[in-house]
Amino acid sequence: MLIADLPKANDIASRRRAHVHELRRFLVRRLATLVITLFLASVLVFWILNILPGKPAQVILGTQATPSAVAALTAKLGLNRPLVDQYLHWIHGLLTLHLGDSYISSQPIAPVIGAALEVTGPLVLGGLLVGLLIAIPLGIASAIHHTKRSGVVLSGLAQVGIAVPNFVLGILLIIVFAVDLKVLPASGFTTWSTSVTGALESLVLPAISLGLVEGAILARYIRTSVVEVLGADFLRTARAKGLRPNQALVRHGLRNASIPVLTVLGLELSGLIIGAVVIEAVFTLPGLGSLLLSSVANRDLITVQDIVMLVATTVLVVNLIVDLLYRIIDPRMGLRS
Amino acid sequence: MVRSLRHVAQTTALVASAALILAACGSSSSSTSSSTSKSTPLQTLTIGSSNVFPPTLNPTANASQAIDEVIDYNVLQHLVQLAPNGSIVPVLASSYTVSDANKVYTFTIRKGVTFSNGNPLTPADVVFSMKRVYAPGSTYPYGKIFDVSSVQQVGSDQVRVTLTTPSWNWLYDLAAYSNGVILDPSTVSTLATDPVGTGPFKVTGEVSNYSVSLARNNRYWGYKPHVSGVVFRYFSNADSLNAALQSGEVNMIDNLSAPSDATLFKSNPKYKVISSLTNGKVQMTLNNSYTPLSNKLVRQAILFATDRKAIMNAASGGYGLIDGTDTVPADPYYINLASEYPYNVTKAKKLMAEAGYSKGFSLQLVLPPYFYAKLAAPLLVSELGAIGIKVSVSTIDFPLWISQVFEGGDFQATIIDQAEGRDVSNYGTTGYYWHYAKTPEVASELTAANAAPTKAQWIAGYQKVLKQITADAVNDWLYIAPFITVIDKNIVGIPTSAYTESYNLSYVGIGGSIPASAKQLGYLS
Repeated sequence: MLIADLPKANDIASRRRAHVHELRRFLVRRLATLVITLFLASVLVFWILNILPGKPAQVILGTQATPSAVAALTAKLGLNRPLVDQYLHWIHGLLTLHLGDSYISSQPIAPVIGAALEVTGPLVLGGLLVGLLIAIPLGIASAIHHTKRSGVVLSGLAQVGIAVPNFVLGILLIIVFAVDLKVLPASGFTTWSTSVTGALESLVLPAISLGLVEGAILARYIRTSVVEVLGADFLRTARAKGLRPNQALVRHGLRNASIPVLTVLGLELSGLIIGAVVIEAVFTLPGLGSLLLSSVANRDLITVQDIVMLVATTVLVVNLIVDLLYRIIDPRMGLRS
Repeated sequence: MVRSLRHVAQTTALVASAALILAACGSSSSSTSSSTSKSTPLQTLTIGSSNVFPPTLNPTANASQAIDEVIDYNVLQHLVQLAPNGSIVPVLASSYTVSDANKVYTFTIRKGVTFSNGNPLTPADVVFSMKRVYAPGSTYPYGKIFDVSSVQQVGSDQVRVTLTTPSWNWLYDLAAYSNGVILDPSTVSTLATDPVGTGPFKVTGEVSNYSVSLARNNRYWGYKPHVSGVVFRYFSNADSLNAALQSGEVNMIDNLSAPSDATLFKSNPKYKVISSLTNGKVQMTLNNSYTPLSNKLVRQAILFATDRKAIMNAASGGYGLIDGTDTVPADPYYINLASEYPYNVTKAKKLMAEAGYSKGFSLQLVLPPYFYAKLAAPLLVSELGAIGIKVSVSTIDFPLWISQVFEGGDFQATIIDQAEGRDVSNYGTTGYYWHYAKTPEVASELTAANAAPTKAQWIAGYQKVLKQITADAVNDWLYIAPFITVIDKNIVGIPTSAYTESYNLSYVGIGGSIPASAKQLGYLS
């Protein structure tokens, strides 16, 4: 190779500059989409909740309150102002990180959501962890053995896991581990400040109920992905240069197989959050799902709006991170799409 | 990259497994559960509640019965309160007199009572609390039944209340509803989270959507309950609540949301099942202004076509009472009119033909999202179907029910538990959601009865109204809702009826006994 053919220093620098420029444009584009989506979500959530019949003041004061008491409460909550005013007031609060006060208890909402997140956060992460601990070995094993009977059995197991609703599993786990064996609490939550082991104990069965189904779903994606990679040319090349099948799979195959799985993982997170709402009801955990359900029932609209926006933001941000991650794992993806 | 990913995965898996194993090993020391062992004299009683979590702890700002269950009587007390046997007993008043034909009530305030923060109870506190109910901008949820024109302190230890019109019901309303709570004026700003009262318990904490904790109030002036505290834990799922009692996490269930679950516990010697009645009249409310239902004969046909016993069996496991009108046994004017409309399809068909609806009509039955309504509806569909009424059913959430059915009157028929006590006055309330045609006549009957010089005449006046609304078949009264409590067998002192919004725990204990006077008032011995 001639020296002249080698890339010049300023060529490399300009390519790097172009790459950084492209990355910046990609991020700006994605962030703009995120902001617009969040704005539309906020308008939709606010509009839908505020056209719901069942006026908060009437729901709060019940059937025996005087009309003047209902009017006084409506005015106190600021619900007699035009909807646009109420929306702007709410959004301004969110942007300045003031989530507002609950219509029902008149207490600030942020600490209540914070306390609920102390349950739901670890529950969703625990569910994800359980899911991954099941999905990765199960998916890889059933892919490696996909031509054998054991692979079919493993796939079948995953299918059963998908078919069982998580609340049924939850009730079964309660019966076995709490009522019969009495090794774990049937329901409830010990706060982290009271006892860390107590809090973990309270989350074991819920996390398993939540994670098992997600694990079964993920296992199928992993299996498909790995089966595809097993037949790929680069893996044959890796084998040809002397690697054992498992070495080749671990060093070269898994990275490639993980790309579609990562995308699914991002999407599954919203599944986990929705699953948590159900699981929290089964195990009576004071998490975000319970808070959301009771706030809807009490027409504590501002709390509902805050929770929905929080969940929407989380899901969108996680998807953005996943988007970035698989571009890092697989540079071929580029930054344009 | 792969190596580092693998390393991260391995570490995460290790940490996770360690956490799970650690959690599984330390299982028996759950701090929220309380054991049922009998070694220590004072334990915490954990009540598994099928109620919703109290949206706030301030009973003067929200109608939710869940607030009253915990706070009313237990933390905040009234001048007079209702005992489980239905009698009105003086509490923060040591005595009271009624004069001027039930229009003026003079209460002598009990001496030596302090709030749980140490402030003494004064007549000025009582005047403040009662004036607060009807002050401008008041958000008391039971404002409609607080018909007071003035409240004033008399002498050093008395408070006089004058009503706008005489009433035989006012003292009951003061005892039964949270309008009657006596507050420490210096603590009203913290009512939502820390209501301070004179009761046997004080609030020590709450975990949103999970639990409210009460501790025994050591400054309490009366009998001290035989527990160190009470924790109300909330379960939205009946199966989870049943499992929590079976696994020993809670000591009792306040009220089974599915009464038929009582069979799970009845045969087990570890538990006691106590069934009692509430003020709740479960009824199919008929919109009397909707054309076929505006015809009295049609409404009577519906009442004859209803097999109430079958409905009570299906909707409440056979618990409850059928009395066929708007009253419960605790009412002084109680009367059982179940025999007015025995199940008789032939007669119902005849009435339909007489009304000109021999071919029937269609009827929309809209349900609130409650167990009893969902369980009763299918039977009503088939029973009314038998006389040609084609019933279509839909379910809506409760706020929508309040807005559409109760406020808007936009419905044909619904099934609801009319939960308020002594609420026959609703039949004399103009514009009330069932649109009874004879509302003005009933209103004047009730006013006359309330002004009656003797209790017997008042009772006779109310019974006349009950007979009239039953003869007019205003609604289809199905059964009186039961209240089914399941307790560990060593629990004493819980109320044996549910005629109050509150769940009075003044005499509760784990083990031991209760005073004979408490037993007489209707607390479990």
